[in-house]
Amino acid sequence: MAGSTSIQPIAELLADRYMAQHAGPAVEVQGGGSSAGIRAALSGAAEIGMSSRQLKPEETGLKEYLMARDAIALIVHPGNPVRSLTKEQVRGIFSGRVQRWEAVGGRSGAITFITREEGSGTRGAFEELVMGKETEIAPDGIVQDSTGAARAIVATDPDAIAYISLGMVTPEVAAIALDGVQPTHESATDGTYALTRPFLLLTKGEPTPKARAFLDFVVTPESQATIAEEGYIPVKPAGRGSGA
Amino acid sequence: MKTKEWLIEKTLLLMALSAVAMLALIAIFVFIEGTPIMAREGLGHFLLGRKWAPTKGSFGIFPMIVGSVWVTIGALVIAGPLGLACAVFLVEIAPRKVADIVRPAIQLLAGIPSVVYGFVGIVVLVPLIREHLGGPGLSVLAASIILGVMVLPTVISISQDALEAVPRTYKEGALALGCTHWQAITRVILPAARPGITVAIVLGLGRAIGETMAVIMVVGNAVKVPAGLLDPARTLTSNIALEMAYAGGDHREALFATGVVLFMFIMLLNSLAALRFGRRRPSP
Amino acid sequence: MRPDPALARDQDLDSPRRDQDLAVPNGGAMAEHKAEMAREPKVRVEGLSVFYGGVQALKSVDLPVHANEILGITGPSGSGKTTLLRMVNRLNDRVRACRHEGRVYLDGREIYDPQEDVILLRRRVGMVFALPTPLPKSIFENVVYAPRIAGMRDRRKLEERAERALRGAILWDEVKDRLDDSALALSGGQQQRLCIARTLAQEPEVVMLDEPCSGLDPISTLKIEQALDSLKATYTIVLVSHNVQQAARATDRTAFLLMGELVEWRPTAEMFTNPRDPRTADFLEGRFG
Ligand SMILES: Nc1ncnc2c1ncn2[C@@H]1O[C@H](COP(=O)(O)OP(=O)(O)OP(=O)(O)O)[C@@H](O)[C@H]1O
Ligand SMILES: [Mg+2]
Repeated sequence: MAGSTSIQPIAELLADRYMAQHAGPAVEVQGGGSSAGIRAALSGAAEIGMSSRQLKPEETGLKEYLMARDAIALIVHPGNPVRSLTKEQVRGIFSGRVQRWEAVGGRSGAITFITREEGSGTRGAFEELVMGKETEIAPDGIVQDSTGAARAIVATDPDAIAYISLGMVTPEVAAIALDGVQPTHESATDGTYALTRPFLLLTKGEPTPKARAFLDFVVTPESQATIAEEGYIPVKPAGRGSGA
Repeated sequence: MKTKEWLIEKTLLLMALSAVAMLALIAIFVFIEGTPIMAREGLGHFLLGRKWAPTKGSFGIFPMIVGSVWVTIGALVIAGPLGLACAVFLVEIAPRKVADIVRPAIQLLAGIPSVVYGFVGIVVLVPLIREHLGGPGLSVLAASIILGVMVLPTVISISQDALEAVPRTYKEGALALGCTHWQAITRVILPAARPGITVAIVLGLGRAIGETMAVIMVVGNAVKVPAGLLDPARTLTSNIALEMAYAGGDHREALFATGVVLFMFIMLLNSLAALRFGRRRPSP
Repeated sequence: MRPDPALARDQDLDSPRRDQDLAVPNGGAMAEHKAEMAREPKVRVEGLSVFYGGVQALKSVDLPVHANEILGITGPSGSGKTTLLRMVNRLNDRVRACRHEGRVYLDGREIYDPQEDVILLRRRVGMVFALPTPLPKSIFENVVYAPRIAGMRDRRKLEERAERALRGAILWDEVKDRLDDSALALSGGQQQRLCIARTLAQEPEVVMLDEPCSGLDPISTLKIEQALDSLKATYTIVLVSHNVQQAARATDRTAFLLMGELVEWRPTAEMFTNPRDPRTADFLEGRFG
């Protein structure tokens, strides 16, 4: 399988689990990006393609399997009065154009924004869903290389803002609404919350028996629990019996 | 008997050589991976460029060089005097009972994983700096303090060994000549232990430069030349560790090139230290 | 086995010298001894017992040291000679396990009195150790170490002081042209004389030497003994030696320590010709190691 670098880590993890439990041919996971994953699935270079975005209308001929959803929440200190921002404001903050809280309706104070390192999947998603093609994250912003560290900083700094996977939000920080929509499991699942993206596995036509076995493995309750632990939103409620 | 000795000697030689060879291989690998991009970008651009946007083709590591230098010097300023004072206290001043408790405690410090230091840094030190000194808290100062504390055990225990290795006769000779205890420490024991103390500090420095995890957590990692102690910065090691996992192509090469620069730094440091040891004869 | 010819010759050379030494000061020393008994001694040790943890190193020692004499202290290894010296300049203060009873007086004042300044005491009572202890500095800096510590800055004065001390230790001629060389480059005998010079440069009143010749050849030993003899006029000297011959040659009075006990102390000549205690006789005849 090949494709999205955002899916790659969790796919590798699941592939390792799968191979530990099942004898037989190895499952090999490669990166390359969502577009490359779609191409690889179409051309047959990969039995399974991985994409962390919806397929475009012209990308046809593929069967989609939703393995998880990734939602990104913006978090601030619980004492920060700002509870909602627009996408435009967020873009302004992370590009360095907006530098003060009072400019977005908060208390007076300089904004400390925390981003993730170049190459991180969360950063990739944030750039894709918020920053867009034209704006980039200011290079002199503070960079942390883990969700835990970013969250710990926001938990102690009333002036900080960061983005982390929705599944990683804890009560020490406050997740804020984007364009008026509070990020929750429901709003992420039904698509009203904008900062979500699907993790899709793709096959060209019917999957091979080998691919089918792995696709089935991905939606077992154990695998979905793992997905939840990694901070993503499972497509089947983990541990609560079989869902859909 | 003869053949046995021959065998032992050759085996030892072989082991020594393979250790050296492994190190050489790593160095060569890093150089092969890292030098092409320096050549392509131009050494001057690479070392002095201020823009680092590796996925968009800008590879300037000047901010990281400055960051590393600042943080390392900061750590040294903290760990050097503190470590030496601690070692002198333990060896010369503390009652045996106190020393017997403090020594293992310091050894324990060395065993704490660096993530723990980093986390304590984030939840305790960084807020303290932010509230009392200003800035985002994630800063050169925070990294220097955390690193300083992390290298303390190294500095203390090696300085301790150095102080203990000073012949007792030096001290007693000085005392018999009417030195106070303090004079004996500053004028006789410390100078006599100086080579060992230098080793302690160089090893501490080595650890400070190489340490990554804890630094990443508290230094802020912002790619800009820090204007002061309270500014965030990025070090050479944190640059490599942050991005290596995902990097490919030029980006990867640029990270190896960062490694080459780091390598040079450490070589420079070690040769400085070696130079100092070369001076065997005591100064009049 | 044949006796070593070299050894035999040595003894032949030694014995007439010893007779001479013993014969000359004999009568005079007695008279001097009596006269000095009346004066307050320079150093007086009174009922001194010393313990290292549970080990008793000195057992209620009483011993006066008179001004301008060379007092020899002899005894087998472990008998407490070094301990006795270290108690007189309070070098044992910082030995954690060490504890003492009894008193030590310098010019009639108890040196362990809490009022007494230990630094001043050590300046007045110099000590030379068994093994040479030059500091890793130049010859000159070694010699002027004590005056510098005491605050002397004037280069001229320091140089004067160094020359006088080096002459006193009979080392001046050998090192006057290389004062800035490292002291560690000197031979063992030179180093030991340097240490004597270093002690002299602090202008003490009492000079204690702990087996200063233990590691030295006969010629260096002789030089040091000569130096001591000429220093006697200015200083009070205590010379620890387990070499009986040296004690006989170089000292005015001898004290004999055995397992922490002061067995007897008398003018050297008397002690060597006519020891009172059978244990002294045994030691002098080489029956204890
Ligand atoms: N620092 C110390 N700690 C414990 N015991 C000690 C210490 N110094 C000396 N002793 C003990 O005290 C006793 C007397 O030792 P001291 O060094 O005074 O003997 P000495 O007569 O000088 O012997 P030597 O001729 O071998 O130098 C010995 O039993 C020795 O083991
Ligand atoms: Mg001794």
